[in-house]
Amino acid sequence: MGANKSRPHVLVLPEDKANLQVANGFHLEVPWNRQRQMQVLREAGGWNQVIELFESVHATEMHRNDNRFMVLLIDLDGRPERLANARARIPENLNQRVFILGAWTEPEALRPELGTYEAIGAAMARSCREGADGIWQHHLLHHNMHEVERLLERVRPILFPPN
Amino acid sequence: MIRRFYVHNFRCLENFELPISGQPSVLLIGKNGAGKTTIGYALEILQKIARGTNRVGDLVRPSDLARGRADVPMRFEIEVDLGPALIGPTIYSYTIAFEFPEGFKELRVLEERLTADGNPIFTRKVAQVSLARTGQAKEANFVIDWHLVALPIIHQQSRDDPLFVFKQWLARMLILQPIPSLISGESKGETLEPDHYLTNLGEWFTGVLAHAPAAYATIDEYLRLLMPDLKDIQNPAVGSDTRNLVFQFSNEQGSVTFPFKALSDGEKCFMICALVLAATRVLGPWVCFWDEPDNYLAPSEVGHFVMALRTAFQSGGQFIATSNNPEAIRRFSEENTLLLHRNSHLEPTVVRRIDELQISGDLGDALVRGDVE
Repeated sequence: MGANKSRPHVLVLPEDKANLQVANGFHLEVPWNRQRQMQVLREAGGWNQVIELFESVHATEMHRNDNRFMVLLIDLDGRPERLANARARIPENLNQRVFILGAWTEPEALRPELGTYEAIGAAMARSCREGADGIWQHHLLHHNMHEVERLLERVRPILFPPN
Repeated sequence: MIRRFYVHNFRCLENFELPISGQPSVLLIGKNGAGKTTIGYALEILQKIARGTNRVGDLVRPSDLARGRADVPMRFEIEVDLGPALIGPTIYSYTIAFEFPEGFKELRVLEERLTADGNPIFTRKVAQVSLARTGQAKEANFVIDWHLVALPIIHQQSRDDPLFVFKQWLARMLILQPIPSLISGESKGETLEPDHYLTNLGEWFTGVLAHAPAAYATIDEYLRLLMPDLKDIQNPAVGSDTRNLVFQFSNEQGSVTFPFKALSDGEKCFMICALVLAATRVLGPWVCFWDEPDNYLAPSEVGHFVMALRTAFQSGGQFIATSNNPEAIRRFSEENTLLLHRNSHLEPTVVRRIDELQISGDLGDALVRGDVE
């Protein structure tokens, strides 16, 4: 099996290779005995493809498995309406288990300040583990704050359980 | 962690340097014959030396010279950083070069040198060895058979001796290319030095637990994540000097016990991975070179397997994998993925970082199309 489907688990669907590497960096920070509760999927090839793939495949699978949570990683390319459009296409009964995150423009813009994609993902994981704003305060990520709060509430206990 | 690994005139590796300094984990990709596995063989030559093989003919042969070039020395150089936790020197550099003079039947040592933090421990030119002055010991010079390597022969004074520290580290480097059908789980002793094909896995399991019993907890926890019905792993004596690994599984329907050799190839690889994770955690940090860790695994396991290994070496040591498996490739990033390439069997291996190449779309797909060169 991939992610352990009989327990709460998180699938991450990245838009592109850059977001995939960010997700890998996050995954490397998850404690090794929780890593199988997370699976990073193949990049979809564009933000619209992320949503289409979610609608055509993952929504059905999520209806079948209440243990499944999903994080969709998309680039906003400076268009905040994209987030609202994507959110509008998530079925209402799955809203509590689907999270949409992404850079204000694209992850490439974060690299000069924050390092490699894996380093960016690792910093996101540390913020998640510590329950702190951390990297999310960056001006290209700050718009995710509300979604991150939801993520901390639902996903943090799965990947970073209290000792 | 390896800071520098340089090989010259060995098979397809000519003036070859592996750019892995500062990377806790690295993936080597490339077509068949590009040189991925040869890098493991080159590391294994140094590992064999550290494990005590001192006869040159048991390490390299004239046929290992790149395209038979006998007029150029074959050279191996490794520089490692053993970390700040170490008492004494941390940066070790070892060089050995072989030559094949006319009329000889086997290669001989041309040059050999070990330094610690830049200070020589010993140097050698052909048969003449010079031991540097250390502590109370005076500088010493002696002659050695030019068909013997000096590193395994030179006596170390204590476990704190830099010579011992480096040799032990090099000897315990993990160079793995498991062939599950050859792994029985039977053991007649213990070791911390698994062989290339893991045929001595039973001895390795016994050795790791003898040196660090706490390793069992990691092995048990990791395997239970993959095989939830695992109840127990035992290594009972089955003769006066033999042990045999057995796995017990149970659920509400009952329980069953299998000898290790009855496990599937993939399950045997789970056990190898568990041992790597446990051993590097409690006895490491080490360097682990694993040739195609995705072999024998179901597609759904490859990503988890690779990530578990990458994570284990994040905080120390180094994990080097070779693979062309798309899922394994996706678990690495552009800064830690290296492409090996050869234009033909007459040309040497060239290594490049993926972020230096122009690749359209998915790297795995590009490899399938043959568009990555």
